[in-house]
Amino acid sequence: MLFNSLSFVLFLIIVLALYYTKLFNWTGKKRMLLLSSYIFYGMWNPPLVILLWISTIVDWTAGKKLAVEENQKKRKMWLLLSMIVNLGFLAFFKYGDFFLENFVILMNAFGIDFQAQPMDIILPMGISFYTFQTMSYTIDMYKRKIEPARTFLDFALYVTFFPQLVAGPIVRAKELISQFYEEKRATTNQFIWGLFLLTIGLFQKIVLADTLLADTSDTVFGSDKLLHGVDAWIGTIAFSGQIFFDFAGYSTCAIGIALMLGIILPDNFKYPYASLGFSDLWKRWHISLSSWLKDYLYIPLGGNRHGITRMYVALMLTMLLGGLWHGAEWTFIVWGGLHGTYLILERLQRRYLPFEITKWNGMFLAFTTFSCVNITWVFFRARSFETAWNMIKSMFYMQTGGEKILDTFTILKVSVIIAIMFLCHWFMRNTSMKEVSLKTSPYVLGIIWAIMTFLIIIAQGSGEQFIYFQF
Amino acid sequence: MNLKQSLILAVAITLIATASWELYWRSKGFHPTVNDEKALWALARKKVETGSKSDVVILGASRAYFDIQVDKWREDTGQEPIQLASTGSSPLPTFHDIVNNTNFSGTVVIGVTPGLFFSTTFPGASPWKRAQSKVEYYEDETYAQKLNFQLSIPLQENLVFMSADEEEWSDDIDLKSLLRNVSIGHRTSDPKMPPFYNFGDVSIPRNISMMPKTVKDTAFANSIIKVWHFFGKGAPPPDKASTMAFFLEDLKKFKARKGTVILVRCPSSGGVRMGEKMGLPREEFWDELVKKAQVKSYHFEDYDQLKNLSCPEESHLSLEDANYFTSEIIKIMKADNALTNL
Repeated sequence: MLFNSLSFVLFLIIVLALYYTKLFNWTGKKRMLLLSSYIFYGMWNPPLVILLWISTIVDWTAGKKLAVEENQKKRKMWLLLSMIVNLGFLAFFKYGDFFLENFVILMNAFGIDFQAQPMDIILPMGISFYTFQTMSYTIDMYKRKIEPARTFLDFALYVTFFPQLVAGPIVRAKELISQFYEEKRATTNQFIWGLFLLTIGLFQKIVLADTLLADTSDTVFGSDKLLHGVDAWIGTIAFSGQIFFDFAGYSTCAIGIALMLGIILPDNFKYPYASLGFSDLWKRWHISLSSWLKDYLYIPLGGNRHGITRMYVALMLTMLLGGLWHGAEWTFIVWGGLHGTYLILERLQRRYLPFEITKWNGMFLAFTTFSCVNITWVFFRARSFETAWNMIKSMFYMQTGGEKILDTFTILKVSVIIAIMFLCHWFMRNTSMKEVSLKTSPYVLGIIWAIMTFLIIIAQGSGEQFIYFQF
Repeated sequence: MNLKQSLILAVAITLIATASWELYWRSKGFHPTVNDEKALWALARKKVETGSKSDVVILGASRAYFDIQVDKWREDTGQEPIQLASTGSSPLPTFHDIVNNTNFSGTVVIGVTPGLFFSTTFPGASPWKRAQSKVEYYEDETYAQKLNFQLSIPLQENLVFMSADEEEWSDDIDLKSLLRNVSIGHRTSDPKMPPFYNFGDVSIPRNISMMPKTVKDTAFANSIIKVWHFFGKGAPPPDKASTMAFFLEDLKKFKARKGTVILVRCPSSGGVRMGEKMGLPREEFWDELVKKAQVKSYHFEDYDQLKNLSCPEESHLSLEDANYFTSEIIKIMKADNALTNL
C-alpha cells in the first residue's frame, strides 16, 4: 500500500479509529497494529508476508537464545543463523539474477560456454529495509548492547510496524521496541504535528517529486540520444531533487504517521544538500542507513582503529556495499565507489590542506558538495554505463552538437525548484522544521498547510511508487 | 505555536479553495467523467477469465471503442460485451494475451484500424506498448491498486478536477497537465504536436462516447483532425508481414479451441480516409487479411446503410451514429450467422 493512495487514506482512518477507541487494551491495540501492518504489506503481494514472518520468527528465536546463552561458540551460531536467513533472503530475492548474470560473464571470459536463464524473481518490497532492521536486533543482542524484546508481539511489531516497514527509517531496536512496552497515545499537539508532517511528506512526494521533477529526469535518462550539456545537467539536478523529495517525503510521512499513534521515529534526513563535505552529507542523508553501515560494517571492518590505509579500505568497502544495498547493478556499486572516493579525498584534504570553514566559504563549499553529489546521481539513475558515460560527457561538454530535448519552460521550472531547494537546505541546515514552526505565526502555518494540501489535491498523482521501495 | 488554529485554518482554506477550483472548471464547461485508465481496462479484462462461450469481447483501437456502444449492444442482443479496445493501440497484444493466457473460447470482435493493426510488432513502438502495458498492468495489479480504483470511481464520477487521464489530454486540469501546457519558445528540434483535447466521455462498464461538442463545434473537431494529420505524417511505414503473421498464429490457436473471431472495419472519413486509401489501400491490407484469416469480416464500405456515415473529426462516430452503427452491424452479423451466441 502506498501512502499517496486513496486506499491508504481509508486504511489510516480505520487504524486511527481503532487505535483511539476504547475497544482494546494496549496489548489489543498492538495486535491490531501488527495485523494492520501485515494487511498494509499484503495488499501489495500477500504471499510475501511469509518472508516477514520467517525473519520475525528466526530473529526472535535467535535473540531469545542470545539473551541467555553463555557459550560463545553457540552464541556465534545463533548470530550466524540470523545473518544467513536475512542475508540469504537478500541474496536470493535481490541479487540472484545479478550474481547469475555476472557468473555467466565470468565463465564466458574464461572461455567456458555457459548460459543461464534469468530467474526473474519478484523483489519483495522493502526487503533491504526490514532485513537490516531485524539484523541490527540480533547483532546488538550478540554484542549485549540491548535487552531482548519483552514479548513476541513487541518484537513482531518492531519488525513490521507499517509506517516505516517498506522504506525506513531503519530503526534500531532500542529506539522502537521499548516504546511498545507502555501504552502510547499522541497528545493533541503531537497528533496535529504528525498530520502536518504527513502533509509535508505527501507534498514532497506528489507535488515536488512526481509532478514537477520526475518527467524531466525520466525524459533525460530515458533518451537514447547524445544530449546537449544543459539538458544533461537539468535532467541530473531534476533527479537529485526527485530522489530527495521522494525519499525524504516517505520518511516524513512515516515519522508523521507514527507520531499520530504516539510513537516517535528518528529523523532520516537533515537538509543534506547543504552539507559541507561528504562526511557531513552522510550525517544528513538517509541517516538511519549510514549509521547502520557505520555501526555494523565500517567499525567491524576496523574503522579508524588500525591506521590510515586500513581506514580508507574500510571506508571504500562500506561505501561499495552501501551502493550494492541500493540495487543489484554495477552502476550502484560505482555510485558507492564515487562516494567512497569523495570521502577519502576529503580526509586527505583535511590532513594535508586543512582550512577553516567560514560563513563566506561555507555556501561555496555546500554548492561544490551538491555539484559533486549530482555527478554520482548520474550513475545511480542511469540503467547502463553507456547512458551514464554519455551523460557525464554531455555535462562536461566533452561532446559537441548534443541534442536539445527539454523545452525552455522545463529548464526554468527545474532550475527554480532546485535553486529554492538548495537555499532552503542552506538556511535550514542548523535548525529544524519544528524550531522554525515554533517561531511561525499559526495563521501563516495554516496558510502554508492549506497551500500544500490544495496542491496535493489538484496534482492528484497517479499513485507513483516511491523510488526507495525497490531497494 | 497553536497547532489547532493552524489546522482549522488549513482545513477551511483547503475546502474553500477546492470547492472554488471545482466550480471554476465547471463554469468553463467541464463535466465529471471517468478516466480511461489501466485499472478500468483491467476490470473489464478480468471478465474474460470467467467469460463463457456466449460472451463477446471487443478488441481494437479507438474506433472500435467509440463506434461499438456497449449499452446499445446489450440492448440489441441482451448481452453486455466486454470492451477491451484501446485508444492508439494495436489489438494484437491483447488478442495474444486472451489466446495465450485465458481459456476464453467465445466471440472476439476485432476492430481493424489499418494504421494501427498493421503498424508493428516491435515491443517498444507506441501502438504495441500502449496495449501491452495494459496487459501487464492486469497481470501485476495489486490488491491495493484494485481498492484505489474502486475508491476513486465515485470521486471521478462526481468531481471535475479528478481528471488526470493517462492519455495526457491538453485540456486535463491536474497540476502536471496545466504546467505541461506552459510553453516558452521552441527550443527542441522535434515537430510540435498540435493540442490534443479530450473528445470522449468514458463510463462504467467500460465504454466511450463522443462528447457532443465534437459534433457541434467545428473548430473543436478541426483541432482533433489536425492531430490525426500530425500522427499520419509522422507514422512509420506499416509492417504488414510481421503483424499479419503474428495475428494469424494466434488466430490459428484460437480457432483450434473453437473460438470465433469477427473482423470489423469501422468508418473513417475526410482526409483521414483519404490518407488511409493512399498509405494502406484496402486491397493490399484489409482484403488480404480477410483472405488469410478466413473469418467473418465486415467493412463499412460494403454496406449501403454504413458507407455514408461521416465522422465529425474524420475518425470516430458521434454517439448517435455510433449507436446506429452498433445496431446495424449487429443486424448484419445476425443475418450472416456470425454471432453464434444469439
